[in-house]
Amino acid sequence: MTLTSKPLAALVLFILLGGIFFSSLMGWFQTESTKIAATFTEGEFAGQANPADIRGSYTLGDVEKNFGVPAAVVAQAFGVSDPNPAAYAVKNLETLYENSPVEIGTDSVRMFVAFYTGLPMDLTAGTFLPDSALPLLSDRNLSSERLAYLETHTVALEGAPAASEAPAPETVSTEAETDRALKGKTTFGEVLSWGVSPVTVEQILGQPLPAPSVTVKDFCVEKGLSFETIKPLLQAEIDKAAP
Amino acid sequence: MNISLFGKRIQLFRKRSIWLRKIVQWFFFLLIALIAINQSLVEAGGGLPLLSTASLHALCPFGGVVTIYQYATTGTFVQKIHESSFVLMVIGLALAVLFGPVFCGWVCPLGTAQEWVSKLGKKLFRRRFNHFVPARLDSILRYTRYLVLAWVVYLTAATGTLIFAEYDPYFAMFNLWSDELALGGVIVLAVTLLLSLFVERPWCKYACPYGAFLGISNLFRVFGIRRNAATCKADGACSIMCPMNIEVDTKTVVRDHQCISCLECTSEAVCPVAKTVVFATSLPVLPTRGEK
Repeated sequence: MTLTSKPLAALVLFILLGGIFFSSLMGWFQTESTKIAATFTEGEFAGQANPADIRGSYTLGDVEKNFGVPAAVVAQAFGVSDPNPAAYAVKNLETLYENSPVEIGTDSVRMFVAFYTGLPMDLTAGTFLPDSALPLLSDRNLSSERLAYLETHTVALEGAPAASEAPAPETVSTEAETDRALKGKTTFGEVLSWGVSPVTVEQILGQPLPAPSVTVKDFCVEKGLSFETIKPLLQAEIDKAAP
Repeated sequence: MNISLFGKRIQLFRKRSIWLRKIVQWFFFLLIALIAINQSLVEAGGGLPLLSTASLHALCPFGGVVTIYQYATTGTFVQKIHESSFVLMVIGLALAVLFGPVFCGWVCPLGTAQEWVSKLGKKLFRRRFNHFVPARLDSILRYTRYLVLAWVVYLTAATGTLIFAEYDPYFAMFNLWSDELALGGVIVLAVTLLLSLFVERPWCKYACPYGAFLGISNLFRVFGIRRNAATCKADGACSIMCPMNIEVDTKTVVRDHQCISCLECTSEAVCPVAKTVVFATSLPVLPTRGEK
């Protein structure tokens, strides 16, 4: 069988565009996160959305849809002054709180949502909230354990810039300077690629090195380690290995 | 118009190029450009109606290739990669098994951009164009894209991040106006386009990891470039026209890993003898001449 350009062009277009159309019909052609949080599978909260599944790509509107916490409330808790809080992406908090002594980011939103809704949350990760979140949690009937946790895991960030106030050029330069900064989403693969030896990482963790794609924070949560303890130790080694 | 000369059918006023391929290339270039622009408009609160708002990462079949390892080991995708990349990878693979790297020759916008710049190079350097690199060096450099492929797949698996985006000229080309633009990508893009003045498709030949992946399909594709040695005039036109410098006139079946199925060497384009260089599953068994 011989093909000339016309049938070949038709077949290429048919297979490519038809394949996309068919996979879209089947629900396979997902071009973005579905933004539907996983649910608890067991226990008294089975079937309810799990705050631990909030992703950086979620907007505060997505958080509201999944957990019923108004986007404006989350925005107020984290000092976000965006005129459209529902469209504000959770991952932007990392930029907003870039200069914070502790990490305020996606994990902080997970914790705030869990506290606000009364849903379970693993508190071993050493997650912090800005003090602007406290008034919003004051009437949420927090358990004594959670109240005690907040006493030691709230940080006063009076000087933190609001999103709309952060000047863009400064943001860019700061990002460049902190390329090798260990964050919640940093994977072990990245740590190794920055020159820290596997042996050193294992010594700090006290455990065998996990898969490179695992994030340091997820590993700490899973193994019951304090991310806030591990983070500066690994960061020191990263800084040492820097060229 | 065909005439018979010395027992051979010669095509007069033959086409010099596959015009339909240019149209398909334009279509995909504009489609991807519009989607990239639309994504920026959506982020700014606007957007074009009826057009996808997907990110370029979500529309890149190579994203599916680099996330295979992570998907197999953890069931998750590399950051910024979604199911759509996997679907496109499968479609690209199906096309390659049937027709070879037709994605490179007919669809890839970066290949199209290189061809546009090369038109200027052809006018500037005429016969020297696409023949600047010494043959021996060129034959070695043709395999560097497999090193790039191995490097990208390894680093992506090791770090769990889309490391190639920092150097990807395709991503840079459609993000020139966005804050996701990476300096490495801009430099690679600029070098690629500059080299396109001297060499046809330099990125595809020497560095493209996705081209390397698809190129393997040339070894077993169903439809391939086939030359009927019995009717061949051995004028070398097919080899001269080949953008990938494949010596089509010395082969009966092109199995070269660099072929992009552009059909520019066929009797439909440059070959003056009808049905002599064709894109087919097989040729009638005929006595051969000039086969190496």
